[in-house]
Amino acid sequence: MKTRTELMSFPDGIDLESGDRLDTFELMVESYGELNESKTNAVLVCHAFSGNHFAAGKNNDNEKGWWDQLIGPDKAIDTNKFYVICCNNLGGCSGSTGPKSIDSKTSKAYGSNFPQVSVSDWVNSQKMLMDKLNISSWEMVLGGSLGGMQALQWSIAYPNKIKKAGIFAAAAKSSTQNIAMNEVARESIRKDQNFHEGDYIEQGVIPKNGIKTARMLGHITYLSEKHMDSRFGRKFQDDDSKVDQDVDFEVENYLQYKGEKFSEVFDANTYILMTKAMDGYDAAGKFNGLENALEGVTAELLIIGFYSDWLYPPQRGKEIQIAAMNNNIKSSYVVLEGEHGHDSFLFHNDQYSQIISKFIQS
Amino acid sequence: MAKKLTKIITAWVPKDSKVIDFGCGDGSLLKELMKTKKILGYGVEINNKKIEECIAKGVPVIKQDIDKGLHEFESSNFDVSIMARSIQCLKDPSLALNRMLKLSKRCVVTLPNLGYWKCRINLASGKMPVTPELPSSWYETENIHLCTIEDFESLCKKERIKIKDKVFLDSRGKQSTLVSMSPNLLATEGVYLLEKE
Repeated sequence: MKTRTELMSFPDGIDLESGDRLDTFELMVESYGELNESKTNAVLVCHAFSGNHFAAGKNNDNEKGWWDQLIGPDKAIDTNKFYVICCNNLGGCSGSTGPKSIDSKTSKAYGSNFPQVSVSDWVNSQKMLMDKLNISSWEMVLGGSLGGMQALQWSIAYPNKIKKAGIFAAAAKSSTQNIAMNEVARESIRKDQNFHEGDYIEQGVIPKNGIKTARMLGHITYLSEKHMDSRFGRKFQDDDSKVDQDVDFEVENYLQYKGEKFSEVFDANTYILMTKAMDGYDAAGKFNGLENALEGVTAELLIIGFYSDWLYPPQRGKEIQIAAMNNNIKSSYVVLEGEHGHDSFLFHNDQYSQIISKFIQS
Repeated sequence: MAKKLTKIITAWVPKDSKVIDFGCGDGSLLKELMKTKKILGYGVEINNKKIEECIAKGVPVIKQDIDKGLHEFESSNFDVSIMARSIQCLKDPSLALNRMLKLSKRCVVTLPNLGYWKCRINLASGKMPVTPELPSSWYETENIHLCTIEDFESLCKKERIKIKDKVFLDSRGKQSTLVSMSPNLLATEGVYLLEKE
């Protein structure tokens, strides 16, 4: 699979939804497959909260991209047919301009000064990327969770630039419970003594404990009770492989390990920024209800939910489909079992892959 | 049989209309209506494999258990709702009929006829009918509310549902004068176009 990773500059900058402005920015972009001559086979994949541009294939450490199970030759999103692009969202911490980047005005890391970005801003920056690549229309824009929100926003904001949208394990807006969970995560970061109001880079420290706790909580919300039960049950962790002597159960060890690993690579300000963007998104926001928001949509929509997802339960996807149908938009709504709770959108299973593959090729 | 049904239903569906097909199966009927009548169609189906086939055909489809309610579709302004060979599988066929007529002015219903003479012979010999049209044994069948042509029409009368048009088919999927003279005995399938009185 032909893979290209590139840091692309946008010297014209971007006006953000908040009213702030970035005078210049960069996006870390990865692509898979080849763009055909007529540029009609481009697919944009949008990442979820903690994802990045590395969506498929293997890196030097032999790790696989977050959607490698679905993107690749002969996979659901077939790179023999489609040119698949994924970029690290603005405000991220995997190469695109974000709170870790150096602000040219001050020659210091942005830290707490990085402006709040939104789902709309991401879509607008991806549109700038599209223009730079001279692609006039996406064959499909798709993603799960926060990525699904971007796909939905694409269909609303740029109806003539997108033929199909895939909105998986997502909603038109975050629920009260979603916001509440995210606030607990953010609070654990803010209250880490190394946070320094977001300017920890200047102080030469990282609020690792805060990020770790936030991730441990987040991780629980991404999995289903059934999945956790069958995977860990009440099994005790072997003494030899305990990450910490305080750990008793396997599930504790797992969360500790996952949280620790995440805290080594993810930026605390990005964590706050991305969850704020997620909480703040409301497709119906500027309009009088979701139905009005979808009025101009021309893309065909594929909405998929998972029964085991309690963070963004399938009903939230159904609301989008009903609003779309009321607007005479060609739209499908499928609910699948999914074993992994909210995270189900990340994993291949035959039905999920078949449905995506048939939709994208129909 | 399926071809004949498609032909009859196609004649009843206005051009450019918005159609919902409950129990749409693999989406063949909607696909045909999309081609010949330029409809905007949505299928409702519970089986994932069938849903896949709809999507492959480019037919919009919604995963839903029809028994769990049709009220969600009421805000969508459909012109025609279709329920082909599914009404006898529902827990409350009468409620479903009324709901369909609430969400669209026109409503197409097809159903297998338990009054068909072969079914009667089965019953007369003391057994539940098993025929080419109703091939499953009583313990396997999804048909929990089978009825005869007469039964169905009296339900329509009771519910003040107007039968705008009807067609009866024999075991070969054909219409004939004979069958239309005595549908309750000779038809294997009734096809109805309904409206609310």
